[in-house]
Amino acid sequence: MRKFIIKVNGNRYEVEVEEVTDGETTPERPASTIENKPAPEPSPKKVVEEKPKDEKEVVVSEGAEVVKAPMPGTILSVNVKEGDRVTSGQILVILEAMKMENEILAPRDGIVTSIAVSKGASVNTGDKLVIIE
Amino acid sequence: MKEKIERLLDTKRKIELGGGEKRIAKQHERGKLTARERINLLLDEGSFIEIDAFVKHRCTNFGMESTQAPGDGVVTGYGTVDGRLVFVYAQDFTVLGGSLGEMHANKICKVQEMAIKMGAPIVGINDSGGARIQEGVDALSGYGKIFYRNTMASGVIPQISAIMGPSAGGAVYSPALTDFIFMVDRTSQMFITGPQVIKAVTGEDVSQEELGGANTHNRVSGVAHFIDSSEEESIKRIRTLLSFLPSNNLETPPVYECKDDINRVEERLNELVPVNPNKPYDMKEIIKLIADDGYFFEVQPYYAENIIIGYIRLNGKTIGVVANQPRVLAGCLDINASDKAARFIRTCDAFNIPLLNLVDVPGFLPGTDQEYGGIIRHGAKMLYAYSEATVPKVTLIVRKAYGGAYLAMCSKDLGADQVFAWPNAEIAVMGPEGAANIIFKREIAESDDPIAKREEKIQEYRDAVANPYVAAERGFVDDVIVPSITRPRLISAFDMLEGKREVNPSKKHGNMPL
Repeated sequence: MRKFIIKVNGNRYEVEVEEVTDGETTPERPASTIENKPAPEPSPKKVVEEKPKDEKEVVVSEGAEVVKAPMPGTILSVNVKEGDRVTSGQILVILEAMKMENEILAPRDGIVTSIAVSKGASVNTGDKLVIIE
Repeated sequence: MKEKIERLLDTKRKIELGGGEKRIAKQHERGKLTARERINLLLDEGSFIEIDAFVKHRCTNFGMESTQAPGDGVVTGYGTVDGRLVFVYAQDFTVLGGSLGEMHANKICKVQEMAIKMGAPIVGINDSGGARIQEGVDALSGYGKIFYRNTMASGVIPQISAIMGPSAGGAVYSPALTDFIFMVDRTSQMFITGPQVIKAVTGEDVSQEELGGANTHNRVSGVAHFIDSSEEESIKRIRTLLSFLPSNNLETPPVYECKDDINRVEERLNELVPVNPNKPYDMKEIIKLIADDGYFFEVQPYYAENIIIGYIRLNGKTIGVVANQPRVLAGCLDINASDKAARFIRTCDAFNIPLLNLVDVPGFLPGTDQEYGGIIRHGAKMLYAYSEATVPKVTLIVRKAYGGAYLAMCSKDLGADQVFAWPNAEIAVMGPEGAANIIFKREIAESDDPIAKREEKIQEYRDAVANPYVAAERGFVDDVIVPSITRPRLISAFDMLEGKREVNPSKKHGNMPL
């Protein structure tokens, strides 16, 4: 297990990378995060699976609302920054899935305390996108 | 005689006071109305006639013989809503906590039977602590009798349940068997097993409101159909719903005078759907632009929002609308959307309400959770419900109509009487991207520039297949129409279909995949 610090669109992510060898699979993360990793493609930009630290370390305080991905897809754009004040119904993220630019809206008024994804990231159903407090 | 009359009036006054002024005050403190106040709000003023006010319980266990329970904790009777006969029962929380015993249940059963016989809707207002434990198995039998009558009444008369207090354990199944459930935010709860039992068995800590409150059942479970912030608003909404429904399965819904122009040309419809098929928009805007006076009475607005259901009027007549919502989950059909729509289609069919289907669906939602959850059998409900429905069915393809989801949204083959499409419609077995990858796989692979070749083939496919004209050439689409004239065309179609007569093969009942 090795640790990297990766900056994506100005967001700093601590990423742990584990080498998987044949016959030995001890995923320390939910399987979804591993499956999520796109197979190496001959594309110029490499999508890095990023996660803000460990799942458990993201403190979701009382009254915070976690906006999750409703279906698997690709983040087309992130329309808010950490610290932004948002109102209910405001577009937080555009998630491209099923050939549709799905607008992920703020479920309520609040302040964006954390953004878990950046442009180009692949997400699965239930992955954290944005936390609003 | 005078004395006797005095005595009668005195007794009635006592009964009408239910559990007494103290308990009534307590009920009000909780933001709740009494059973009689609710009934009076629901029915036209002064129209309520009570039945069985003198009924008393017959229980002698555990000191019950000395317990007074006016009306045995439930008020039953009939009256009118907008001048139409409606039967009603309301549990009285001020009397033994509205608990259900043998005679309490018998009173409810009596109005249920009357409603079926007279062919009039029944509204049940639930506010009860549950079974009256002292009455034991008699109370249980009471629930069973009510469930049985709910089932017999199903599809014969509209049954509406309002949850205006607790409804726990077996009590929840009577509302669950009815057509519509109304809940009030923060004062009504429904659950099979309460928070204490859950804590004891699984260790989970959950509040009553979180477990079975109005929000939970309107947004998460889909058990309830409506949520309101007060009982007054909830009851008003029940009255509105009744205006869209017939009194029974042999009648058609009441027709209201239409003040909106039936030939209204709506230019905005020409611009509303984005040209880029990847851009979402709000389908509800289309529904409102088509409807009489722009009025859309939405059902289950917070559950499975990727499909929209509800009622509008066209030329004053009730029409049930089933529409994909491209803004949510790309408008895909999934398990919850299929359940929501299939139930609604059957409700409409049972009560002779024509169906309008607005289609913009990219397909069924992919994913293991959908497959493991049984999307196959849930999605099949939509096919079943549409095929089985004999009411007039009109389908309008607004944009995408792909694959099995195209069929599931009531294509010609499932018995749509009229299918219209807007000129930007894409009707095909699958989307251009996927289809091009399969059909032109080799050509793309062998090309010098696969990416450009792929784009070219996608466009080729889109031009050749993903349009409404291929389907129209084969008669799967009856007409391709200019969006702006949708309202007059739909009104004309439903007028033409008014005399539709269609009978399915005689059978005991079908075997819908559940």
